[in-house]
Amino acid sequence: MTTSARIKGFILIGILPALLIYLFFVVVPIFWSAYYGFFDWKGIGAAKFIGFDNYAEVVRDPIFWKGFKNNMLIVAASVFGQVPIAMILALLLTRSNLFQKMIRASVFMPMVLSSVVVGIIWSYIYHPQIGILNFLLDSVGLEHLKKAWLSEPSISMYMIMIPIIWNYIGPYMIIFIAALQNIPSEINDAAQIDGVGSTRKLFQITLPMIWDTIKVVVVLCISGSLKAFDLIYVMTGGGPAHTTEVLASYMYNSTFNVYRFGYGSAISTSIIILSLILILGSQYLMKRDYR
Amino acid sequence: MQMEQKLPFSPGRGWAKISRGLINIGLSLYAIVTLYPLFWLFTSAFKTNEEFDSRPFYLPEVWHWDNLSRAWKVSAMGTSLINSTIVTIASLALTLLLGALAAYVLARFQFRLKAFLMGLFLLGMLIPIHSTLVPLFIMLKKVSLLDTYWALILPYTAFELPLAIFVTAAFLTVIPKEIEEAALIDGTGYWGIFFRMMLPLSLPALSTVAILGFLRFWNDFAFALIFISKPALKTVPLSLSVFATGYSTDYKLTMAAMTIAVIPTIVAFLMFQEQIMKGMTAGAVKG
Repeated sequence: MTTSARIKGFILIGILPALLIYLFFVVVPIFWSAYYGFFDWKGIGAAKFIGFDNYAEVVRDPIFWKGFKNNMLIVAASVFGQVPIAMILALLLTRSNLFQKMIRASVFMPMVLSSVVVGIIWSYIYHPQIGILNFLLDSVGLEHLKKAWLSEPSISMYMIMIPIIWNYIGPYMIIFIAALQNIPSEINDAAQIDGVGSTRKLFQITLPMIWDTIKVVVVLCISGSLKAFDLIYVMTGGGPAHTTEVLASYMYNSTFNVYRFGYGSAISTSIIILSLILILGSQYLMKRDYR
Repeated sequence: MQMEQKLPFSPGRGWAKISRGLINIGLSLYAIVTLYPLFWLFTSAFKTNEEFDSRPFYLPEVWHWDNLSRAWKVSAMGTSLINSTIVTIASLALTLLLGALAAYVLARFQFRLKAFLMGLFLLGMLIPIHSTLVPLFIMLKKVSLLDTYWALILPYTAFELPLAIFVTAAFLTVIPKEIEEAALIDGTGYWGIFFRMMLPLSLPALSTVAILGFLRFWNDFAFALIFISKPALKTVPLSLSVFATGYSTDYKLTMAAMTIAVIPTIVAFLMFQEQIMKGMTAGAVKG
């Protein structure tokens, strides 16, 4: 065998197993889902080709858009809840002594828990009878505020955002800390010598210096929010009356609860398209400079 | 370190001390609030139902260790721990081996489709995992893999491969070419170079991938929920979710079962804190 044939053979054998598994389980399903979207199918029996009917229904489906809106609410909660909290924590936690390391670790801790555990814990916190939230309101004399937090349609979605914010602050905080530690110390020294006040320094030096990082984090918030399924499935299942439905939970419910596999596939495809638009769009917008 | 000047405020020394103190108190309070749900979980696991109801904020009066053993039995925790372990280890082995091999090829060889392949793997990091659940379910059903360990192992591996490849490839590209050339001249084949040089050299990258994979596989819920329905094959998160709804009035037992379930990841976190925090962050940025 010649050397180049040996190299070619090695490249092929080296890349092929990973590529095949990846193609079969990640890439091919995307096309299958677009294809199944053209059928009316209950999961068993014959599938009936119905053209674009499913896709047309998705576009007109108010619950689908309700789910999309809730996904966007989660994005908003991440951008305006997680990002500022993570930023404040990062600004205060740039040192690396034991105390600060312990605080960082505690903030990060929820990240390593299974979302099922997180969901169940928070369902219990909100529980109308045994929940500690209502117990707390009782013990400070605010009984009139007691609620069945997750079954009240007007607030249930907001109640779900709290554990989501709680859960995912850690990584953003670590990203910000790394960015802050990368600001050259000369810049801080110069600001100090010039007598720049702390608020002015924060807004005119520190934040502009890490602006790129902030952009990355915002994009992460968008892609991360599309992953919200586990918590919602465990805590409310999308109810009451679809008020906490997100795209992924609606896809799950349409497919595995009412057995509309074709419609579920059409929703899946729509999720892929919407998320690619959102992620690429946000990346495009973020690349433009507003400073 | 030159952190001292980095604080956003630096007035007089007395003031600085006081504000530092206030900040530390604030930070501690924040940490306590963050950890409180966990504290509540651990303490409730040892209470009676009656105590769980009436004294939620206190430590248990008597520590009921038998809650743990009862929860273990009632929730079939042993079976699900074994299932989770099998699935996690198998997926990790596959991800690390195939990922490292592909990363070696992509990082050290020049060939025509290289850029295309990198782009293809990058695409996988943009696709929301949940959107492939329905077609994957149908495909796995057709090839009769539903309700087997493979229904989890193969998709887990597939979805973790892009991260594994990018983290490892980034690490391998900086290794000097000379080392490899010397080995080739000595008559070592590419497989020899891969197993005896590249694998050991990329150990730091691989350990990051392994820790992240462990957390992802161990904690996964969505795939298990859809691909597994046999009780004998349920993983920890799946059996917890079933248990929590089925036994919803025996709260202390649910809390005890969850306590058992979170111990492995919390122990892993305490052992590999820095690596997990940095790795998850890098993983997030890449994705």
